[in-house]
Amino acid sequence: MSGTIRILLSRDDWYHQRGYWVVANALKNAGLEVILGGIQTPAEIARTAMTEDVDMIGYRIMQASPPMVIQKLLEEMAARGIEDIPVVVGGIISDKDEAQIKEMGVRAVFHSFDRLEDISRQLLSIVSKQTS
Amino acid sequence: MFDQEFLERLGEAQQRYEEEVTKILADRGPGHTTFSGLAVKPLYTPRDIEKTDYLADISFPGVYPFTRGVFPTGYLSRGLHIRQVTGLGTAEETNQRWKFLLAQGANALSVVPDDGSGNRADSDSEKVIGLVGRGGVALDTLYDYETLFDGIDFTKFPVHLISTNAYSLACYLTLAEERGIPFRALRGSMSNMIRPETECLDILEYCAKHVPLFNGGYLDMRNVREGGCTAVQEIAFGVATAMAGCDRLIEKGIDIDDFLHRITWFVNAGPEFFEEAAKFRAMRRVWARVFKERYGVKNQQSLLCRMHCQTYAPTLTIQQPFNNLIRSTVYALAAVLGGVQSLHVNSFDEALAIPTEFSASLSVRTQQIIDIETGVTRVVDPLGGSYYVEWLTDRMEAEATALIDRIQEMGGAFQAWNWMCEEIRGEALKIQREYDSGERRLVGVNTLVEERDIQTEALQVLQRHAHFEAVHEYQPAFVEKQVRRLNKVRLERDPGRLEQATAELTETMRAHRNMIPALIGAVKAGMTRGEFAAIKAEVFHKPGEGPYVCSPPLVLA
Repeated sequence: MSGTIRILLSRDDWYHQRGYWVVANALKNAGLEVILGGIQTPAEIARTAMTEDVDMIGYRIMQASPPMVIQKLLEEMAARGIEDIPVVVGGIISDKDEAQIKEMGVRAVFHSFDRLEDISRQLLSIVSKQTS
Repeated sequence: MFDQEFLERLGEAQQRYEEEVTKILADRGPGHTTFSGLAVKPLYTPRDIEKTDYLADISFPGVYPFTRGVFPTGYLSRGLHIRQVTGLGTAEETNQRWKFLLAQGANALSVVPDDGSGNRADSDSEKVIGLVGRGGVALDTLYDYETLFDGIDFTKFPVHLISTNAYSLACYLTLAEERGIPFRALRGSMSNMIRPETECLDILEYCAKHVPLFNGGYLDMRNVREGGCTAVQEIAFGVATAMAGCDRLIEKGIDIDDFLHRITWFVNAGPEFFEEAAKFRAMRRVWARVFKERYGVKNQQSLLCRMHCQTYAPTLTIQQPFNNLIRSTVYALAAVLGGVQSLHVNSFDEALAIPTEFSASLSVRTQQIIDIETGVTRVVDPLGGSYYVEWLTDRMEAEATALIDRIQEMGGAFQAWNWMCEEIRGEALKIQREYDSGERRLVGVNTLVEERDIQTEALQVLQRHAHFEAVHEYQPAFVEKQVRRLNKVRLERDPGRLEQATAELTETMRAHRNMIPALIGAVKAGMTRGEFAAIKAEVFHKPGEGPYVCSPPLVLA
């Protein structure tokens, strides 16, 4: 693939944005191009992912039920023919929800205190596998 | 506070001590820096507070500048309010949780709706998929508020609405009216964070005139701190934001003495024990001095910095989850020693899910044990006079005051908002990098990590075998239940009456008149929160902007 990796970062709600901004700024510093989607519904995320032509979607889920919003997001992506864009999730995600959304196709799930370097390394590896 | 001759003798003795200590600690690397970045020495003595004037700077509890507390007798006459954030499922589940907490001995109530932005669509909207009743309680209509407060005497327990939304206030006021409580006698408070928005200022203005005992203004610095800022910034950003809000209301011709005393603080209590305890003391002093000296406030009540505290959450860990009980207990102790009025102690499972009855009851018990068993609430400001704590208090006041001046030079907090956001996010990234490198340690995360996490195992066993809910799991069935409730209201209301109330509210908002009276009328006519949100979007939307959301650049954390 050519050029910088473009990642859309969106979140489910207003409350508690610390992790969202920490990851956004860390990824920017790691050389990724970060598109800040802010608070978006699954449909808005899919729409932005398409118009911004991103390589990856990062979805912060803290207030919402992860399986419910991921299912909706994947449907919205499929409807736009962009289901091959990898989706990663970060937030407060229980083991049960994590297993369920990975089963649906989420490529990675990140939790509090995951090291920033590990997050960016894993994202790069997902994108490079996608394009190879 | 000390005479010159004594300080000279002390200086000589101290010099001998410090020389000795320097030798002992020579190979120990750099000294301690507090969580917020203040470099501290191994020992503090009267020399560190030699310029402090007891009567002018510390004084008595209930006496200006209120360093030692806002009331003369601290917790001796007015006990700690145990106020746990509550909000799950529909109004029924939250009402049951409230009753459970009251039965445990909680003596104040707080409700968090599931609409963080305060501009949320109704529960059957595509926009809120996955969010209904999950991070808070679904409150779509007045009927939901009636259910929420069923059997709850809110003249007996102070109630806090975690909402910036005028809709919540309108429902609360309507409930009071239904119960025959005059607005002039109605107490309570809401999270109406001070911001330059019509909705915020309307609430402040309306309450100042019609609901004088209700605390209608809020400085949500607790969540700003959660976002990453330092303890000093927590003080400074809060005071500067209050100043900016006051300036707006004064411009509108409202007397500062009519509303300032109804602005309360929401504060944090984090890991750095003495810095946190000192922060509350410094916060009270900065508040009193700024508003007395710079605004000439006459109402003595306005100079009282009253606080609700919720313990710090970013250090709560998924790993070894019961450690969070210990963390939150220590943070809570700092808050009580610092003299907060009201407290929420985070539950040990808050890094995993919203609290269960089991974990929430431990949060209540934590406060009761501090209050009943330790004696710390029996002496007012027991840390007062500690050389270290007084030094920290002075230092934090000085740093916060300098920061306030800097914000004022930028044109005030509303002008400096983006700068403050950048500061907060910068701190958050810095702290995370310190955890990543191991420079800052956190038990179970980057130090004392266990191969086999027996605490997690214990919790999993509880989850499988306990006859109570050990870790909360969201029930998607809440959505159907809530939508049924919502449709019932929609079906039963009078369309003609609603239409008239809607037109009146829209007209009022367009004409820049205070929206609260018309909103109360609309709530009574069955208007839902989503319908109110749609009117706000229509009236406040500026051409060329994206969809209207409540206070987009103003949410700091």
